[in-house]
Amino acid sequence: MAVYLSMGEAHRRIGDYLSRVVDAISTSDGAALASLFAVSAPGSTLLSDALAAFPDFPRFAGDRFPHLADLLVPLLRAIHSHSLQRFADAYSSFEKAANAFLQEFRNWETPWAMEAMHTVALEIRLLAEKADRELAMTGKNPDKLQAAGSFLMKVFGALAVKGPKRIGALYVTCQLFKIYFRLGTVNLCRSVIRSIETARNFDFEDFPVKDKVTYMYYTGRLEVFNENFLVADQKLTYALMHCNPQSESNLRRILKFLIPVKLSIGVLPKRTLLERYNLLEYADVMTSLKRGDLRLLRQALDRHEDHHIIQRQKEPAKAHQIKLGVVVKALKWLEIDMDVDEVECIMACLIYKNLIKGYFAHKSKVLVLSKQDPFPKLNGKPV
Amino acid sequence: MAEPAKPEVTEEAKMDLLEDDDEFEEFEIDQEWDDKEEGNEALQQWEDDWDDDDVNDDFSLQLRKELESNAPKN
Repeated sequence: MAVYLSMGEAHRRIGDYLSRVVDAISTSDGAALASLFAVSAPGSTLLSDALAAFPDFPRFAGDRFPHLADLLVPLLRAIHSHSLQRFADAYSSFEKAANAFLQEFRNWETPWAMEAMHTVALEIRLLAEKADRELAMTGKNPDKLQAAGSFLMKVFGALAVKGPKRIGALYVTCQLFKIYFRLGTVNLCRSVIRSIETARNFDFEDFPVKDKVTYMYYTGRLEVFNENFLVADQKLTYALMHCNPQSESNLRRILKFLIPVKLSIGVLPKRTLLERYNLLEYADVMTSLKRGDLRLLRQALDRHEDHHIIQRQKEPAKAHQIKLGVVVKALKWLEIDMDVDEVECIMACLIYKNLIKGYFAHKSKVLVLSKQDPFPKLNGKPV
Repeated sequence: MAEPAKPEVTEEAKMDLLEDDDEFEEFEIDQEWDDKEEGNEALQQWEDDWDDDDVNDDFSLQLRKELESNAPKN
C-alpha cells in the first residue's frame, strides 16, 4: 500500500495534478476537468500516495495557485481523506471544493464546464452516501446526504435559468431524485418538477436522452405512489421506449413498476417479456389472472408481497347465468371463505365499476350476464 | 345480519421507496445511444386479451370436477 516516496517525487505528482486542473480551466476543457474531479472513481493511487507522503500539501497548493486555493486545497483534502476511507471528512472537504467550483461556474458564460459540474454533482452524492454509512456506524448523525441535497439545489438554481446552461439542469434533477428517494423525502421532488415542466422557453425533448429516461423513471414512480396510474403509464412507457437497449438492469427496473401499472389498466405482459427480463415472479400472477385462479393469485401475491405493487383483479367464470352458490363453492375450493351475500356484494361492485356487464336476479341468486361483451376489456381505463 | 369475517383480500399496495435495488443505475456521463423512433422491443410484448386459451389445464379441469361433484344446493 504505502510505498516510500521521496519528497521531490511527492511534490512533482501533486504539482502535476494541480497544473492539470488549472490548465483544464484556462483552456475550457470540460472533459479533462471532469475526470480530475472524479475523486471516488477507482483510479491511480499515484496522487493519494503523494498526498500521504507530503502532509503539508494544503500550504503547497495554496502557495502555488492562490487564486484557486478555495477550490484546490479542499479538493486535495477530499482526495486524501477518501483514500484513507475517512468518508465524512472527505465529504466535508469535497463540499467546500464544490461550493468554490460552483462560484466559478456561475461566472462562466458558456456551459463548457457542464461535464465537470455533473461530475461534482454525482461525486457529492456518492461521497455523502459513504459518509452517512460511516457516521451511522459510529453512532453519529448521518446528515451528509441531506446536505448534498441542499448543495445540489443550489446547482439546480444556477442551471435552471434561461440560457445555455439549462440543458444541464435535468441531470442535476435526477441526482436530486436519487437523494430524495433514498431519504424518503419524495415530496421535495415537487418544486424541481414544477420548474422543469413549466419552463416556457425550453423544450423537454431538448434534454439529453439519458436524463430524460431517468427523469421519467422517477416521476413515473411518483405517479404510481400517488395512484395516478394513467400518467404513471405514460411516463414509465416513455422511459421504457427510450432507455438504452443495452442497459438490462435499468429496463428491468422500469418494468418492475410498469407491469403493475399496466395491469391496473387491463394490459398484461407476455410471458416472453417476463422471461427476457427475469421477472418471472410475475408469471404466476399473470396465469392466475387469466384463469381466474384466486388461490394461485393469493399465493403469488403473498410470496412477493413485499416487492411488488399489485392491483387486485377479479375475473369470474364464464357463462350467461351464474348461480351465486356456484361462485361461493368455487371460492371455498380456492380457500376463500365468503357467503352468498358477500359474493353478491362484490358482483354488484364489479358491475358498478363496469368490469362486468349484467344484472342480478336477487331472489333466485343468479347473476345474468350481458350476452355481448360481459367482461369488458379495460382498454387502458383505470379501475 | 352478523358481519362475517372480512375476506382477507386487502393486500395493501406496498412500495418501499427506500429499496436500494430500485435506484436507477447511472448512465455514463457521456453515454449516448441510438434513440430509435419505434423504441425498444419490450414495447411490443404486451396484450390486452385476458382469455386463457387453454381451458383444459389442471386448474380448469379440477374446478369443473369440484363444481360437478354434487349438485348446487340453491
